[in-house]
Amino acid sequence: MDFFTSMDVSSSGMTAERTRMNLISSNIANANSTRTPEGGPYKRKDPVFAAVPATAGFNAVLDRNGNANLKKVEVTQIREDQSPPRLQYDPTHPDADAQGYVALPNVNVIEEMADMVSATRAYEANVTAAQAAKSMATKTLDLLR
Amino acid sequence: MALDGIFDTTIRLLEKNLDLRAKNQNLISANLANAETPGYIPTTLSFEGELKEALKNRGDGSVLITNPRHIPLKGQAAGLDNVQGKLVETPDSSIGKDGNGVELENEMGKLAENQILYNATIQIVSKQFESLKTAIKGSI
Repeated sequence: MDFFTSMDVSSSGMTAERTRMNLISSNIANANSTRTPEGGPYKRKDPVFAAVPATAGFNAVLDRNGNANLKKVEVTQIREDQSPPRLQYDPTHPDADAQGYVALPNVNVIEEMADMVSATRAYEANVTAAQAAKSMATKTLDLLR
Repeated sequence: MALDGIFDTTIRLLEKNLDLRAKNQNLISANLANAETPGYIPTTLSFEGELKEALKNRGDGSVLITNPRHIPLKGQAAGLDNVQGKLVETPDSSIGKDGNGVELENEMGKLAENQILYNATIQIVSKQFESLKTAIKGSI
């Protein structure tokens, strides 16, 4: 019985969702940033999730617990959205081009808010799974009383 | 099984049940962790039928399997100790554009069910031990 593997998998999910949440906050905070160190307006950032084997190394080779099919989640890459920036006519803006248009970040705040709700729910689901594993382990320990 | 008299099939069945439910718990938490991973198909452990078969095929003249390394006879269901469960893929009926087949509500339901059944089994085990204790003490 390995409830620690279960908790490990759940915490990988929490880490991934937290990374996503951080990126969403960054997108919302920079929804109107026209300057970045790389030049040009801020670009929307998005995590790329990938399922990776939960057990690695020696234990995976032995596979005593039959966990070969168990997958945890990992953020493998942070992608920059390459869609074109929003253009707004504002000739007085210091970053306006020759035609008087300002390039604003390609962030849609409403989309980010919806994404944030989805990330929160997914995070909560992982917390519930970890709590379930913990309570099951505690119940098992209670057999010793 | 040295203590066949005291620790009978019930304990072994409960023990197997706990083991498989713990494995199922791992799979469900993996499904929840990958709720947003593109291309992930959720899996779950199906063992109830196998467990029932193993329990049925006892004491009807079939060859007993007393060691997990014994090979069962042809046509005979595996013994209780050999029940491993089967991994089944349970994708959502409508897989989205990213190929992810996890349905959060469904997984939460499975999580709760698995947890309740695990706790129930634990409770039966502890009652089993309690009645053994009562028998040993000889008085209530």
